[in-house]
Amino acid sequence: MNARQRYAALSRSDPLDRLPCVPIVGNTAARVLGCAVSDLRADGRRLAEAQIAAYRRFGYDGIRVFTDLYVLAEAMGATVRVPRDETAYLDTPAIAEAAAIDRLRPADPRRDGLLPAHLEAAARCLDAVGSEVPVTAALTGPFTTASFLIGADTLVRLMIRRPEAVHRLCALALDSALALAEAMMDLGCAPSLTDPMGSSSVISPRQFATFARPPLERLIRAIKARGHGVTLHICGKTSRIWGDMVAAGADCLSIDNEADLAEAKAAVGGQVRLMGNVPPSEVMLKGTPRDVRRYVRLCVAQAHDNPRGYVVASGCSLPTETPFINIDAMMDAVTEIGWPPRLDASQDGAAAPPEA
Amino acid sequence: MDERTKKLHRDLSDAVVNLDEDLAATAATAVVAENRDAYQAVEGGLAHGMDRAGKLFEEDEYFVPELLLAADAMYVGLGILRPHIRIEGTGRGKVVIGVVAGDTHDIGKNLVRIILETKGFEVVDLGRDVPPAAFVDKAKEIGADIIALSTLMTTTMPGMAEVIEILTAQGIRDRFRVMIGGAPISAAFAKRIGADGYAANATEAGELAVRLAADAAAAGQAA
Repeated sequence: MNARQRYAALSRSDPLDRLPCVPIVGNTAARVLGCAVSDLRADGRRLAEAQIAAYRRFGYDGIRVFTDLYVLAEAMGATVRVPRDETAYLDTPAIAEAAAIDRLRPADPRRDGLLPAHLEAAARCLDAVGSEVPVTAALTGPFTTASFLIGADTLVRLMIRRPEAVHRLCALALDSALALAEAMMDLGCAPSLTDPMGSSSVISPRQFATFARPPLERLIRAIKARGHGVTLHICGKTSRIWGDMVAAGADCLSIDNEADLAEAKAAVGGQVRLMGNVPPSEVMLKGTPRDVRRYVRLCVAQAHDNPRGYVVASGCSLPTETPFINIDAMMDAVTEIGWPPRLDASQDGAAAPPEA
Repeated sequence: MDERTKKLHRDLSDAVVNLDEDLAATAATAVVAENRDAYQAVEGGLAHGMDRAGKLFEEDEYFVPELLLAADAMYVGLGILRPHIRIEGTGRGKVVIGVVAGDTHDIGKNLVRIILETKGFEVVDLGRDVPPAAFVDKAKEIGADIIALSTLMTTTMPGMAEVIEILTAQGIRDRFRVMIGGAPISAAFAKRIGADGYAANATEAGELAVRLAADAAAAGQAA
């Protein structure tokens, strides 16, 4: 089966050869292609080549065009540092204070920043392998983009001191996200949403419901209106906002390893597909192939019977230097487990997670 | 301690927990105007309040925004009290302090720095998001007695172990005492990575540093 056939079978509860598996490969793709991480960001052709090469190398079930979280905020005026061969990071927010919010304009995906390059990358991936594997493009959620536009510290102070300013800023970030989402969908590419600043490791569930959820809901509605399913990833702790993530309209929640898959299944598994949550750093980057196999088995044991389906995945994007043998081990483990899952632990010892 | 002093300490603590900069300013100004001990007001008031806020954070009652605003109130109080703090002693030793790489939360670290300075330590603050090797390099450069590592995030805890691994690899582990702290850190974690001490809050960190410096001095004499 190819990836598209696998997802179709999963949705219809038809027989599968194995569960879909997505080690979320971001800048590790540069290692597969043999170029620098910093070569990918501004070069749509290279970014596509790297993502396609990584997909072909590992044979996973989803390409997600992603280099870093800042592309949209950058297109609205934030500045980003791009160290040679490392993941880019935010240098300076677009504005320093609430008074400047009205100076911001929504991004134009055909023109601003690196949005055209990322759209080009998505188009090239679709063209090359889109018939066999879903190609999504990462889209940073409005609340998170808002934090990059004004700076996280300023944003969270405003949340408590001047909530109306935060709503205005999120509305601008939403306009940009909507425009980018439409441009992605014009290519036939589904946006894949990530809103890490909404995590309960950062803001409270109530703050999430007040500030992050409403624009997310608008964005998801627009994507679903064009017939695409929406995967929503939020890093860190999320158990107290799963209900809001589902109510915002997500079809699939991508769960970090700081949250519990079995708990997610019990709470929202009847409403959404789940993916996760092999620890990207402790297991995928630093563990052995044996650790990876053991953890995959644990995840499958927890979530294979999720009513709305389960996709084996890393808890978050993989660190750039994740060893290839660990990504291979993840794919191999899922193949060995097969479908229906064979979960005896004879091949990897005890099913307990390695000590963190 | 008289009732009035207790009341002012309570106000300072409440100001921090309730994210109330105005109350922090009023209470701190009263401490100074009434010639009450400024250091005790930091320890029994502001640090006490930060500790309460930290506990609420651990209990998932407070989140990063509340911690930041609690810190804002704390800094307002500190700004008023700090010029009036009498340094307890001098020459207690040298400390390199910082927040390990991957984490940019530095509220707890800043409070510990001020308490250490008050206790008579010479403190070099490397700031936040500090790579493990930078702690070691700076400690060697200034001949530090103590390396103090802070983090608020579980994801950056391995960076603490890495500092100790680097010291060991360079054969200089016994030249420095390493202390660690921060919301996700426990005494068990400190023991596991081979740190010399763990403090649950800023006040304890001050006491721990004094103890570690005394140990180091005793060991130095014995050697």
